[in-house]
Amino acid sequence: MALQTPTSHEQEWREDLRKVGFVRRLLAGRHWYGTDWWLVAISAVMVLGFITLALFPSLFAPYSPDEQAGPRFLAPGASPDLPVLVSLATSGITELADLAVPTGEPRPSVGVVRGVPTAQALNDRAQELNQELNGTGMELRPRIARFDSLDELLRAVDDGTVVAAVVQSTEFEQLAGDFPTVGEGMSIAGGVSSEGGFILGTNQIGQDVFSRLIWGTRIALLIGFSASIIALVVGVPLGLLAGFTGGMLDRILSVIMDSLYAFPGLILAISITAVLGPSVLNVIVAIAVLYVPTYYRIVRGQTLSVKEELYIEAARSIGAKSSEILRKYIYPNVIPSVAIIFSVNVADAILTGAGLSFLGLGLPPDTADWGIDLARGQGFIQNAWWLITFPGFAIMLVVLAFTMMGEGLMEIFNPKLRQR
Amino acid sequence: MEDFLYSVRGLNVRYATRSGDVHAVEDVSLDIRRGEILGLVGESGCGKSTFGKAIMRMIRTPGRIESGELWFDGADLMTYSGRQMQSVRGGEIGMVFQDPMTSLNPVQRVAEHLTETIRTHEPKVSELAAMARAEELVEKLGIRRERLDDYPHQLSGGMRQRVMISLALALRAKLVIADEPTTSLDVIVEAKFLDLLRELRDEFDLTILMITHNIGVVAEVADRVAVMYAGRMAEIGDVYGVFAEPKHPYTVGLLNSVPNIDLDEHDLYKMEGAPPNLLSPPSGCPFHPRCPKAMDICAAEVPVLHEVVPGQATACWLYDGVGVAGG
Amino acid sequence: MSPLSLIFLIIGGPAALGLVYIFVKGSAGLRRYILTRIALTLPMVFILASLVFFVLRVIPGDPVSSALGPKGSPETVARLSEQLGLSDPLLVQYGRFLGSVVTLDFGNSLTGAHRPIVDEMSERFPATLELVIPAAILSLAIGIFGGAFAASRRRRTADYSLRLYSVIIYSLPIFWLGLMLQLLFGVKLGWLPIAGRVDAVIGTSLHHITNIYSIDAILTGNWPALRSVLAHLVLPTLTLGLILSGVFVRLTRINVIETLQQDYVEAARARGIRERVVIYNHALKNAMIPVITLIGLQVAILLAGAVLTETVFSWPGMGRYLVERISSRDYTAVQSVITMFALFVALISLAVDILYSLVDPRVRY
Repeated sequence: MALQTPTSHEQEWREDLRKVGFVRRLLAGRHWYGTDWWLVAISAVMVLGFITLALFPSLFAPYSPDEQAGPRFLAPGASPDLPVLVSLATSGITELADLAVPTGEPRPSVGVVRGVPTAQALNDRAQELNQELNGTGMELRPRIARFDSLDELLRAVDDGTVVAAVVQSTEFEQLAGDFPTVGEGMSIAGGVSSEGGFILGTNQIGQDVFSRLIWGTRIALLIGFSASIIALVVGVPLGLLAGFTGGMLDRILSVIMDSLYAFPGLILAISITAVLGPSVLNVIVAIAVLYVPTYYRIVRGQTLSVKEELYIEAARSIGAKSSEILRKYIYPNVIPSVAIIFSVNVADAILTGAGLSFLGLGLPPDTADWGIDLARGQGFIQNAWWLITFPGFAIMLVVLAFTMMGEGLMEIFNPKLRQR
Repeated sequence: MEDFLYSVRGLNVRYATRSGDVHAVEDVSLDIRRGEILGLVGESGCGKSTFGKAIMRMIRTPGRIESGELWFDGADLMTYSGRQMQSVRGGEIGMVFQDPMTSLNPVQRVAEHLTETIRTHEPKVSELAAMARAEELVEKLGIRRERLDDYPHQLSGGMRQRVMISLALALRAKLVIADEPTTSLDVIVEAKFLDLLRELRDEFDLTILMITHNIGVVAEVADRVAVMYAGRMAEIGDVYGVFAEPKHPYTVGLLNSVPNIDLDEHDLYKMEGAPPNLLSPPSGCPFHPRCPKAMDICAAEVPVLHEVVPGQATACWLYDGVGVAGG
Repeated sequence: MSPLSLIFLIIGGPAALGLVYIFVKGSAGLRRYILTRIALTLPMVFILASLVFFVLRVIPGDPVSSALGPKGSPETVARLSEQLGLSDPLLVQYGRFLGSVVTLDFGNSLTGAHRPIVDEMSERFPATLELVIPAAILSLAIGIFGGAFAASRRRRTADYSLRLYSVIIYSLPIFWLGLMLQLLFGVKLGWLPIAGRVDAVIGTSLHHITNIYSIDAILTGNWPALRSVLAHLVLPTLTLGLILSGVFVRLTRINVIETLQQDYVEAARARGIRERVVIYNHALKNAMIPVITLIGLQVAILLAGAVLTETVFSWPGMGRYLVERISSRDYTAVQSVITMFALFVALISLAVDILYSLVDPRVRY
């Protein structure tokens, strides 16, 4: 039967079928591979999730990581005890700036409870705002009236004795029911209302833990991926070369790589960053150096075993060139293992990177990084447990996702692959 | 009624795979007579090794014995508990494996292999006494007692195989199942091995089930031969009878395939087709797609194993109505 | 005699004797094996030490001036450099460095107290040992028996649980585990101390002989000290040991599974050997052989973990020393510490290789 060249219509149709087939095959794999399929699927979703977080942190994080948005040491779930401006709901006054009046006009009176530090906060903030109003013809110099109790103060607002009052939001909430005409306005500190929650609390300088968690993904993944990719780009070709050519080159390279591999990774990374100085790039380089031997060894091992296969001998006997053999036979057999190793490698790199920053080495101190947060948080373990719990948990989750994916892929593609 | 050491009735062994169940052994019934050497032959994958393991109830997940009766020395082994089976294995039924290099524990000395076996089954025996028995045993098999201190890798192939036999005999097992015992041996060692087997059968009153794909070995040493195909029993009978006048077409083909130095290349016989897929075996007789004598009924119904001449039974529609039912 | 030398003697003495014994009694093959291994260790140490040396010389800027900081006038810097031999040509320095490695005389620390580095290491190395050895034992115990158990219950709940355990443990940052343990047992429950090796007050009563506090306490009969030392040991050892156990569980499990597929396991069952004996005796012993070779590599992970654990628990060991010295830019000390680590790793690898040769009869005979 003569070969018939497929018409373009047939080709199209074949293409479509192949595409559908792949997806369907992917899903059908569920039954074939069982648990491992689910492992890979779930972790792949997680990984994608983390990558999304890393790429678009501002979409998910309520605050920017450096922003000292809230009070210090706020526990998770607690609402910040901010000093807020309260006034008659009908007055239209919601923030401190609303109390500015043209110069020369009578100064508005603002009430505070005696003995509570809100007076200071009020004064400070009013002065700040007043500075800004310089030259506009407006001024903000409220007269401070002191009251003995919150109850009295609120009554004064109610009956107009004072134009507004500054109180602690949590306390106000307790009595708010008794004074339906009085409404809560903005916080006098930086325009943040007590409605802006800090889901996981704040740290020792008032930064939102949750936001820092999200932003931390960026650095962690950046380091993890970059270091692994560099290690791969260096290690794989070296491994191929050494395995394929053998001889002196192989021996020299292998001794170097084995020594590096046997040496405690973290310590090596520490030394390199100590030498190069603290910066993200240096950390990436340090970690990459660490993992070059891993790729080298795996690839070299695979190359060696493939080289021994009979079909290589057969190929040679029909005159295939070395470069062809490398390209056509060895390379495709080696790549699946590399892909699997990559996933686990990224996990490892993230762990090492976190370890480095925990020790205070490597990253510039103002980076939003989980390791750094953990190190800082350790000092406050007695009273702020959330500072160390969440960043560490985040590390674990990311590493787990990549590890599970690598493990699952390993079971699926090569269930007899020995552990190294 | 003859005294059978082992009567297998309707044995079914299945293996669970992702694509479904593989019917490794399908409705096999077999009797092993006391004191005989029964050869079990067939091509790779016909189920003979599985059968050998099954009658020791050594089938593990994903395999399972679906159904059947295993009447060994008057008791149905299928009713035995794990404990009871443990004492049967090694104690009553012994197994000699194909590759003695991999069948011996590399980190255990030869002596330990034996003494451990003895003391597992007879815990009251002291280490010294067990050692003495081991020494006696290996000497009978032609191994010098100094070799007991060696590790398996220090022995030659033939010696290792003899160690394997000694392990099977350590507790005076009644039945020895030899699974491809000579496949990894060269012909000279093989010949010695077979001689040894005959001697031992006479001296120890053994019954031997010899599983092999090598018809020559069977011809030389067996009293009866059973032929398996695609998990089913095709033919069984006295070795001279089967070899001289094979009844089942598969047996005919098998015997014809044995090359003969007198033949030239055009006379070499090759059976058509290939063994069937045991995931979905052919309907009726499993051999029918390849059988030169296939009839319509062969594709429709499974033939029953029955005696067609005295001492020879076969499962083939060609002999329907010939001989007596039951074998 | 410094504690460091004492420790080397205690470990090295019997080890050397053992080595001689093996050498004399072993077969030719064994002798060759051991010699090869020793021969391979030397280049490794050499390479690592050299790497350390050259990497640290790549420092942009001058170590002395960064060590002295703004206090150092150019003359002081020059004088100190001269004194330390840092202005000599590179190869001369290299030669001197190699010499110092052999004699273990590392000079004085550049910053801080300017004490002999060997002394500072004498105090800290035993601390690391006291932490690392129990942790290693713990991780091996959990790992090996957990792995064997998982292999025996393959594809059932126990197997999946243990695999999950090892994956999660592996993903846990060791410093986080330490912090969480501190939080739970130290802060919230208050059962165990979270920093240091011993209670400060009790510690003053302890005589230091080997600098391994628990041994010293036993030797001097100082029971309150022993209690305190052991209490301080619990959390750090647990942290390090648990994290490492994950690796061993996986390793053992895979090896036992492969071993269980071997013919001799089937053959043993055919002889009626009980399943438990088959798994924990026949299979595990064989599976251990490849695991032993990998224990050597795990030492590296152990040391890396030790650095982090010591930092979390303020444990005054070599790991913490390294971090401290890096922060204060004391490059002489850093160089020495890393060299010590390299030596340690090399020696342990050697020991493991020799151990392997003893365990696998195929090599021994």
